Amino acid sequence: MCRFICSHKKNVLMDPSEVEFLSEKETVTIIPNFSLDKIYLIGGDLGPFNPGLPVDVPVWLALNLKQRQKCRIVPPDWMDVVKLEQIRDQERKEETFAPIPSPYYMELTKLLLNHASDNIPKADEIRTLVKDIWDTRVAKLRLSADSFISLQEAHAKLDNLTLMEINTTRMFLLDSLNCMYKLRSNMQPGSGATRSQDY
Amino acid sequence: MDVQSYMPVQPGVGMEENFLSLDDILLSQERLPCRTETTFPRLGFLEKSSDTRDIPEGSKMEMPLWLAKGLYERKRRVLSVELPKVYREGWRTVFSADPTVVDLHKMGPYYYGLGSQLLHFQNPENPEIAQAVLQTFIGRFRRTMDSAQNAYNEDTSALVEPLDSLERALFRVGQGGLNAFQRWETGSASRLTASSLVLNYRKRKITDLQD
Amino acid sequence: MSDALSEASDLSADDSQDVMTPAELIAKLEEAWLNEKFSPELLENKSEIVECVMEQLTHMEENLQRVRKGDVKASIHRMEIDRIRFVLSSYLRSRLQKVEKYFPHILEKEKSRADGDPSFLSPEEFAFAKEYLANTETYLKAVALRHMPPNLQTVDMLKAVPEPCLDSFVFLRVKERQENILVEPETDEQREYVVDLEEGSQHLMRYRTIAPLVVSGAVQLI
Repeated sequence: MCRFICSHKKNVLMDPSEVEFLSEKETVTIIPNFSLDKIYLIGGDLGPFNPGLPVDVPVWLALNLKQRQKCRIVPPDWMDVVKLEQIRDQERKEETFAPIPSPYYMELTKLLLNHASDNIPKADEIRTLVKDIWDTRVAKLRLSADSFISLQEAHAKLDNLTLMEINTTRMFLLDSLNCMYKLRSNMQPGSGATRSQDY
Repeated sequence: MDVQSYMPVQPGVGMEENFLSLDDILLSQERLPCRTETTFPRLGFLEKSSDTRDIPEGSKMEMPLWLAKGLYERKRRVLSVELPKVYREGWRTVFSADPTVVDLHKMGPYYYGLGSQLLHFQNPENPEIAQAVLQTFIGRFRRTMDSAQNAYNEDTSALVEPLDSLERALFRVGQGGLNAFQRWETGSASRLTASSLVLNYRKRKITDLQD
Repeated sequence: MSDALSEASDLSADDSQDVMTPAELIAKLEEAWLNEKFSPELLENKSEIVECVMEQLTHMEENLQRVRKGDVKASIHRMEIDRIRFVLSSYLRSRLQKVEKYFPHILEKEKSRADGDPSFLSPEEFAFAKEYLANTETYLKAVALRHMPPNLQTVDMLKAVPEPCLDSFVFLRVKERQENILVEPETDEQREYVVDLEEGSQHLMRYRTIAPLVVSGAVQLI
């Protein structure tokens, strides 16, 4: 949870820790071991909390309570070896990006496994499976990027792609597309020449 | 961490240069083979090999891009700029066969930038040059991407060496994205990484002592 | 203490015509944050959202003053405040970075704005941009230009600083279905064509094509 660490590098639009920050807004079920009345947060109401009774909270709060040993985290449905194996197999079979159970599957896996692995059965297997899914998808993303550039396309539909996946290659792809755009405008004579600078 | 104290201006890439871009300033120093089509009075000092006052018509000389652009006139032929060989037909054929085999650093290192700038000089081959420069970029994109995205924790110097300066910049951007992700991924769970860094640090200290 | 915190929010609901819950307000702030991060140009400032969020935060912080240290509820509220504050500062910071990057063009746009039109810049951002321009010019003069021949002592900042490239590609998610979005050809051999943007679908395309949809809120940059 490296939250609030902002990237000072100006060529990075978004740091992975900021994507993780967004993922912490997802809700997860916890089983608290304390009682507390409803909390009226600016972003909505939470609770009430009763020992042993499941309650939905945002991930940032779940992790904090977990670290203070005030709750047990119930892993999301999809964080399960059998389900993830199916997802991995489908991802390998299909050419396009297969639907994924959470737009933040990578971030949530990392957060929950790092901070609550004792609440998640077969944590190591899950880590490996999610990494496999990630690798397959990122390889597809590179293939699509390559064909987008070589066919000089103007539009691509990218359903099911997650923010973290986009983020690993965003600047590289966008900068490359910009370079290509400018090299292509060289071929329209006059477009650049008339505006060339004279110092 | 490479924290920068100012916002570097990217190269203009196309025919327009960016005034405040260091890459474009370096590019403007690239030398071009030129031939004078008229006498340039009192510019003899530019030509080191002779000590005449004027540059006579028909002199062949090399001059930096910025000077060639300054002296060149569209309406009056006072100067003709010859194509550096990498933009001539022979090399264009090589590029169209397989753009990835060429060491663009050796041949450049501002292959794309200079290629675009050459279009300021009305050469009949301009359309072919523009096309070749674009197709070379596209043809080499896959390799630039693969080197940038697969090279974590490796010695990247061999991968970077044959890249043009623009490709190098893209390579660095690609590595930046990948490394940021890897740092995040190994982040707080990375006892192994941390301890190996410490180990290396100790090793270096020992070797420092031995020197 | 729970009383102090339970009536936490719901301000501004009475005197503004479009009622927005605090949760919706925070969602708006996050949308604005991501759009600003990913759009190549400076977007219109969302000073209303910023002000309302600030009000919420101040209000909540005042309430927390009255709570004793170590209270679990208070600590949760503080965490939420920190998170919102982070988004807010990141939003404002990414705007300032764009001002630093494109200041001559942003000021030019501001100059040519018609009288009734809202400004893209907040008053503070406008002051920052003007000062940034003045400082840059003074600096260039001091270190270089004054040593130049008289006819070369000015730099036209509008020419020297690159413009934002509206032809950049962006990633986006569709929030409201759009029909017949024109996709312009990239090469001479291609033809233009239209696409429908289905709700929830994601796309990679040129910013210029969809810039109005970012303004209207029909698409979210990602």
